[in-house]
Amino acid sequence: MSERKGVLVIGGGISGLTAALELAETGCDVFIAEKNPYLGGRVAQLNKYFPKLCPPTCGLEMNFRRIKENGRVKFFTQAGVEKISGQEGNYDVTLKVNPRYVNDRCTGCNACAEACPAERPNDFNFGMDKTKAAYLPFDQAFPFKYVIDDKHCKANCGKACLEACKYGAIDLGMKAETVTLNVGSIVVATGWNLYDSTRMDNLGFGKVKNVITNMMMERLASSSGPTKGKIVRPSDGKAVSNVAFVQCAGSRDENHLAYCSYICCMASLKQVTYIREQYPESKAKIFYIDIRTPGRYEQFYWKVRDDANVSFLKGKVARITEDEATGDVIVEAEDILSGRKIKESFDMVVLAAGMESSLKESRLPEMSYTEDGFILPSKLKKGITAVGTAKSPVDVQRSVQDATGAALKGIQSLVRR
Amino acid sequence: MEKKYGVYICKGCGIGESVDMQKLIAQAAKAAKLPADKIKTHDILCSPEGIALISADMKDGGVNAMTIAACSPRVKYEEFNFPGCVVSRINLRELLSWNQTPNTADTQNLAEDYVRMGAIRAQKSEVPEPNILPDLSKTILVIGGGITGLTAALESANAGYQVVLVEKEAELGGWGAKLYKQTPREYPYDRLEEPAVIAKIKEVQGNGNIKVYTSTTVEKTEGQPGLYDVTLRKNGGSETIIKAGAIVLAAGWKPYDATRLTHLGYGLPNVVTSVEFEEIAKKGKITRPSDGKEAKKVAFIQCAGSRDPEHLPYCSSFCCATSLKQAKYVREKNQDAMVFIYYKDIRTPGQTELFYKNMQNDAGVLLTKADVTGISEAGGGNLFVEAENTFLGEKIKVEADLVVLAIGVVPATAAPQQYLDKLAVEGKKGDEAKKTFLESTAKPEMLLNLVYKQGPEIPTLEGAYGFADSNFICFQYETRRTGIYAAGCIRQPMNMADAADDAAGAALKAIQCLEHVSQGIAVHPRAWDASFPDPLMTRCTSCKRCTEECPFGAIEEDAKGTPFFKINRCRRCGTCMGSCPERIVSFKDYHVDMIGSMIKSLDVPDEGIRIICLVCENDAYPALDTAGFNHIQMHPGIRFIPVRCLGSTNLVWVADAFSRGIDGLLLLGCKFGENYQCHFVKGSELADYRFSKVQETLDKLQLEADRCNLMQVAITDYDKLPDMINEFIKKVEAFGPNPFKGM
Amino acid sequence: MAEQIVKPDLKFINDVIAAGGESLKKCFQCATCSVVCNVTPDDRPFPRKEMVHAQWGLKDRLFANPDIWLCHQCSDCTAYCPRGAKPGEVLGAVRKLSLQHYSTPGFLAKMVGDPKFLVLLLAVPAVIFLLIITYMGNLNMASIPRGEEGGIVYAKFIPVPFIDAVFIAAATFAAIVFVTGVLKYWKDMSQGVSLSGSLGASIIAVVTDILSHKRFRKCDVTKGRSTSHMLVFFSFVGLAITTTIAVVYIYGLKWESPYPLSDPMKILGNASAAALLLGLALVIINRLKNVDKAGIGSYYDWLFIGVVTSVVVTGVLSELLRLGDIAQMAYPIYFIHLVTVFFLFAYAPFSKMAHMVYRATAMVFAKQSGRE
Repeated sequence: MSERKGVLVIGGGISGLTAALELAETGCDVFIAEKNPYLGGRVAQLNKYFPKLCPPTCGLEMNFRRIKENGRVKFFTQAGVEKISGQEGNYDVTLKVNPRYVNDRCTGCNACAEACPAERPNDFNFGMDKTKAAYLPFDQAFPFKYVIDDKHCKANCGKACLEACKYGAIDLGMKAETVTLNVGSIVVATGWNLYDSTRMDNLGFGKVKNVITNMMMERLASSSGPTKGKIVRPSDGKAVSNVAFVQCAGSRDENHLAYCSYICCMASLKQVTYIREQYPESKAKIFYIDIRTPGRYEQFYWKVRDDANVSFLKGKVARITEDEATGDVIVEAEDILSGRKIKESFDMVVLAAGMESSLKESRLPEMSYTEDGFILPSKLKKGITAVGTAKSPVDVQRSVQDATGAALKGIQSLVRR
Repeated sequence: MEKKYGVYICKGCGIGESVDMQKLIAQAAKAAKLPADKIKTHDILCSPEGIALISADMKDGGVNAMTIAACSPRVKYEEFNFPGCVVSRINLRELLSWNQTPNTADTQNLAEDYVRMGAIRAQKSEVPEPNILPDLSKTILVIGGGITGLTAALESANAGYQVVLVEKEAELGGWGAKLYKQTPREYPYDRLEEPAVIAKIKEVQGNGNIKVYTSTTVEKTEGQPGLYDVTLRKNGGSETIIKAGAIVLAAGWKPYDATRLTHLGYGLPNVVTSVEFEEIAKKGKITRPSDGKEAKKVAFIQCAGSRDPEHLPYCSSFCCATSLKQAKYVREKNQDAMVFIYYKDIRTPGQTELFYKNMQNDAGVLLTKADVTGISEAGGGNLFVEAENTFLGEKIKVEADLVVLAIGVVPATAAPQQYLDKLAVEGKKGDEAKKTFLESTAKPEMLLNLVYKQGPEIPTLEGAYGFADSNFICFQYETRRTGIYAAGCIRQPMNMADAADDAAGAALKAIQCLEHVSQGIAVHPRAWDASFPDPLMTRCTSCKRCTEECPFGAIEEDAKGTPFFKINRCRRCGTCMGSCPERIVSFKDYHVDMIGSMIKSLDVPDEGIRIICLVCENDAYPALDTAGFNHIQMHPGIRFIPVRCLGSTNLVWVADAFSRGIDGLLLLGCKFGENYQCHFVKGSELADYRFSKVQETLDKLQLEADRCNLMQVAITDYDKLPDMINEFIKKVEAFGPNPFKGM
Repeated sequence: MAEQIVKPDLKFINDVIAAGGESLKKCFQCATCSVVCNVTPDDRPFPRKEMVHAQWGLKDRLFANPDIWLCHQCSDCTAYCPRGAKPGEVLGAVRKLSLQHYSTPGFLAKMVGDPKFLVLLLAVPAVIFLLIITYMGNLNMASIPRGEEGGIVYAKFIPVPFIDAVFIAAATFAAIVFVTGVLKYWKDMSQGVSLSGSLGASIIAVVTDILSHKRFRKCDVTKGRSTSHMLVFFSFVGLAITTTIAVVYIYGLKWESPYPLSDPMKILGNASAAALLLGLALVIINRLKNVDKAGIGSYYDWLFIGVVTSVVVTGVLSELLRLGDIAQMAYPIYFIHLVTVFFLFAYAPFSKMAHMVYRATAMVFAKQSGRE
């Protein structure tokens, strides 16, 4: 198969990595274009996977090892797609690769970060802490290579990083590059963003300090997160003893996301276990419309439901306010089955925020979309396949299945030519 | 291959500042049996200049077996990649300069131990050469002709592979062909579709790469990936033997036995299952079985069997969308008809929500959350649906003229599994019990009939209710039967769109398996590995531990009970190597003697504690690296030795270690049990089992069993690792020094 | 709790949909509406349960219930509804059907709610007044007698006794319909409910609530509504007082119209008219402003707004044209004014006007039964 053209995978999250590796291990040359300075995407930010409660980095590590051992995967980080032209078997794709300002000589020694005087909000931790402008995205990042954020790098700092680096790895003169690839087929694995919770003006996010999103919870619970895995509330760093989970915060809501985001029920159930494990006396309550734990996930639901300290209330939370004296969060809902409106106070509230297609804001050329910015698979040109959350909200399992199948479609495109 | 050694030590990243380099070079020279001036150091070994130093030695001195003492082998992999050479990497950064006090005797000793072990590994390692078996078949056998099987066959054929498709029914299509209409699969989810299988059947029938056998079952599957001989049996008739290289198992599902749902009225004349309802709809008007009258008040009961501890303790995933679809049948055929849907939770995840939204907006589709408590006769063939906890009241009763039970999914793998499980239980009780069982129990339809010592079917997992699930989230298709890939509803209850995607995934893995086998390399997870277990059979005692322990059933026994490898089933975890008391299983680059020699090479001083820690290279080792990156101090008395998988740890290493005076042996491996994280499914669990018997060995040495311990760690546990290890060290310290020290 | 037999009624579901509740079926019972509603009680809050009752066509549960009237259609529910089910509008439609149910004859209620019959309904007063004008021989506007000072005098166009006769008849009809309807409604609501409170105290409390517009002020999305409704409400009160004074002038003091602009009654009347105009303008502006969040509203709503607006606009124009002595326009406008006033009062029990009676009743019931 060596004389065949390669395949471009747009997106280096779990879907993109899977598609790329399955292609590479079947003998294809693969390019990955990833917008972040690291591979792994959203799952790299997760503390644990449901329902096994295993760390996503475990699977990622194996995938990175596969990349290292296989040799057919070439990846571009900080890369975006500018242009796509051609047809199946012969696509020309133009990538813009933004400068990392750190070259391959980087050993990952951290000297640049120590020397760097500038700080940036840590987007990997959803702004809950800061990194230096010269930073490693997270401690198990792949590639294990520092990056300089040019938006926050202060050019007048006397180039402290440059002096600190003993290995000649800092290159502040690096410019954005344009890369043109000729490939036989394309896999779109652009993934998702968390819906902006400040847009739900009744749920308090951004105003009530102890209201966080589910993804922030992942980072709080993670040993590589801003609190080194200690789940505490943002306002005062207090340990939590009573946490509410607000399902469908944005999802299944045509004012926000009309569709169901697929993962949030399981994600909240999982996060309940984080809290219950860390604080054995703590309580958690899930406010929901429908609990969606399809297939064998149902067992996970039962397990959490059987915990006497976990309660469920059918009824959507529609108002969240702050008790200014205590910093507690007041949640209002109707307990539908008893027909009473309730107002309950919690230490912290987690919004089960929804999934928005990464393509909603920045669309790729040559594709058709739903109103919500998901790709319409049936309208794709031959030789282009969309996978995972690029086409619909799904969980990691479904993404991996889908990406594995997409690898086959990629191969078929090469075979047809 | 004649090996020419080279040793290269990096001084960057604090290594140079942590140790006495001259002493280290001297030790390295001794271990590598090279003159000291042949031990090269560099300030930045991974830099192009550093690499040039190595390349020059390769070119000029013919060096082809290098020991590289620098950072973790997990980084700078491109730089230190020398194809065709033995590369032994020693981690003096993450495991030393980043987590030890520089320039102490302990640190120096640690560095020297690591360099010695690295040199030995280079000496004991060879470059693997693939073992390619002859006469490999590249045909893919697909079992099951429903949406999953049809898709798997087509996708494989479209990639240029030959396919044999076996279907037990006379017609292709499975459940999908029995549908009146299909749930919409794409945005905006507002129109019912014609069943997708119809077109697929035609495509399959017209595809020259696919050979179809209908009314056929698999009577026997023998062999291994690339070399399967599969006996097919036409409905009680002729037998055909085909050759196949890989198998996609897409045997599908059966509806849950509705006769067990009498509490939901099944058995009453006008109570039907959702499967039966498709037949009614296909015939035209929605009529009811009792009198053929048109049904105008149709009640759908969700979770009929599913989500019920008494029946199916899982959700069948697609029934909510199916009932909404069937509600549309009722409404499209009669605008005056009403549909009542009783659900526990409406489950239309993802964009399927839009279908729910569309259906909900129909004036005649009435929904309520409910716990249905009973169905009773209301006279005239009508039925009362009684329910609790509804939106309409705590207890309500509604009259319907037809009740449809949204019946749950039972995977085709469930019945064989139950049978085999019971057989195993009875078998343990003795031959008599086994015989009684076999005589009294009807054998269910088996799917594969594998001629494998470890059993005739693909193993399902505990707590998986007969689903052939891999239990991997990241690597969905990894079953414990290499070359056999499960797809569709035997893995998880899934709708047809998902099943078709799943089929493509399984087909890809089958193709990949064929390609890897033809190159003599492993499949996932060590999909690059050309090494393979090569036992020294003359010393085999036929103890059969390897045949029992291999997680993948790769080892069979001949008529005399002597084990032999079906090498293409092997995943190279080394469990056989670990299990063998005779230590005869070896890989070219990994064997019992290699690790044993490394252990024996350690310098064990009379004073101070020494611990050996065997580390799973997949998860525990990266965790150690991360601890190092975070400069988390580690006790200087520990020597970390990476292993392929804890499953490969051989008990002889315990003896090696303790007789050498080591005070404790710690194993760091993946979590095992129901939610195992071991990439080889059973590796760490088997190691745990094996080491639970270590008492015997330690007793011989008159040592405390607790000097040996296995800990389950996750890759993210790097922050907890030092505490875990320190606790172990404390325990070992309490026992006092190993009396073998200095002997 | 005893088992309840539920009898879903597809016809009623379709009726609600046709009556302006077309979004009804979109509700998926998340209860956002009950939570964002600031006027609902905490126990058995509305409008979530009303939505499911309407979805299942449970007419009786909806009608025999004070809650559909306790709703002030603030539209907070509609704005936050994740499904676009517009509970505010659905409840409006249910209220309309409830009026059809309680106000007899029912066909009249249907006609008022249906744009097809608008012309016919207008034709009734038009014909009555045309007959009077014809009888008076005033069809030829030029021949209509003038007042002593030569100005236009509407009493000479259509004499006051005629007007009074017509309107007293209309008002009596309306009153009877109201009384029978409200009594029936009260009876239905009382089924199985204990009325623990005192009726008098409840009435007083409700009147205070209404006068202060306490409930309206709880609306979030349609914040401006308390002001506009208050203006409209108190203008009506002002106009009612004006009418009472006028009755006293004519029948008590035997003063004949027109009265000077400086007359206190005239001042009150004109001020009320101006306030009403302003109030209506605010109502319309608010409604248009909130279309995105609260919906455009139904024909039923707009008919009521249209009629009241027509009444006040033609009323003011009548006065201005009279003062300006533009007879050619004054008489026709005055004619329209009378037609619309008739429309407003005679059809009151069937139109949205009835809300003041039914809502007040429901509020009293709620107070007396301890619902709030």
